[in-house]
Amino acid sequence: IFIYVFFFFNSKSFPFFLFYESKHRCEYVCRVKANAGALTNFEVLDLLNSRGASKDTTRVIASETVSRSEYKVYDYLMETAASTQTRDSVTKFSDKCKGFKLAKAEILNIINLRPSSDVELTPILEKPDEREIDIEGILALVQELLPPLPTVEAHKENEQEETEDGEQPNMETSV
Amino acid sequence: MFCLSELEDTVRVPPSDLNLPLEVAIKKALQKLFLDKVLSIGLCVSIYGIKSIEGGFVLPGDGAATYKVRFRIVVFRPFVGEVIAAKFKESDSNGLRLTLGFFEDVYVPAPLIPTPNRCEPDPYNRNQMRWVWKYGDDEFIIDDSCQIKFRVENISYPPVPTERAEDAKPFAPMVVTGTIDDDGLGPVSWWEACAPISDDED
Repeated sequence: IFIYVFFFFNSKSFPFFLFYESKHRCEYVCRVKANAGALTNFEVLDLLNSRGASKDTTRVIASETVSRSEYKVYDYLMETAASTQTRDSVTKFSDKCKGFKLAKAEILNIINLRPSSDVELTPILEKPDEREIDIEGILALVQELLPPLPTVEAHKENEQEETEDGEQPNMETSV
Repeated sequence: MFCLSELEDTVRVPPSDLNLPLEVAIKKALQKLFLDKVLSIGLCVSIYGIKSIEGGFVLPGDGAATYKVRFRIVVFRPFVGEVIAAKFKESDSNGLRLTLGFFEDVYVPAPLIPTPNRCEPDPYNRNQMRWVWKYGDDEFIIDDSCQIKFRVENISYPPVPTERAEDAKPFAPMVVTGTIDDDGLGPVSWWEACAPISDDED
């Protein structure tokens, strides 16, 4: 039942540290359950939000509860589909997905990426041709239930998110 | 990308923190021990919550209290086959390196870049090589103009090297290998021309 060991390392590869001299050591940690549940990006973002993370550039207020490395995760997640999702939409979506015979990992992937076209959805699915998956149906459900991707700051050219955002709001109200 | 893991560990709360409420002190010690470190289960991102605390013994010769704590952490561990959006970091003749902000060791080795391709010295950046995909008559460049989607092929945890050259790349305890050789993968701008199906409503 009890499984061992772990070398602790700093995960960042900063070139100016000879990090492994002082930062690694052996510890025996009992791992009770390695996988106690997969989390969508939304759930992790929600957790960081509830701790007080925010877009505020000074980040002084929340720095007690949210560390710098957690902020990096927060910044990454804010640029993904998770930043516009709500708990309600994600739960409803995963319930309705049950009718499409998708694996849990695929549903998770779809929620995290919010594909809006066939070519975006196909790499997520495993052997879609052999399984007779209703791609159009899934895309329609995504369109209906999951909020559109966030607009990214315009310094990036050809960002797909911008074209999405331009069209989505009209779609949503007409449904 | 993320999952919860339940762990049990012995945590030492230094005497300076003993005036804080117990949970806060233990959380602080846990964060110092686990946050941003790679365990064999993945990269620890955040402490989710503490389930139980036992003990509180002070060992002889030590001023700190030692607790046996059961807690859950949020771990970054992508599964094989997951599609993730990342940013371009650098490329060289072996392949690409992508970054997720909080995790920078995502490598796309040369065989997993769509063929036919070629690698040429980057005209904008003297030290780097640039990868270009040739599809039909068009050439698609891989650079940092937009997000790059990749699919996870493998995650490895290389063992700590005992000796290293002085200028070798810093050791990466967790390496994710990805592929961009499939429909919909690679820079997002490559696939923008494909119209989203569901946008055809009147």
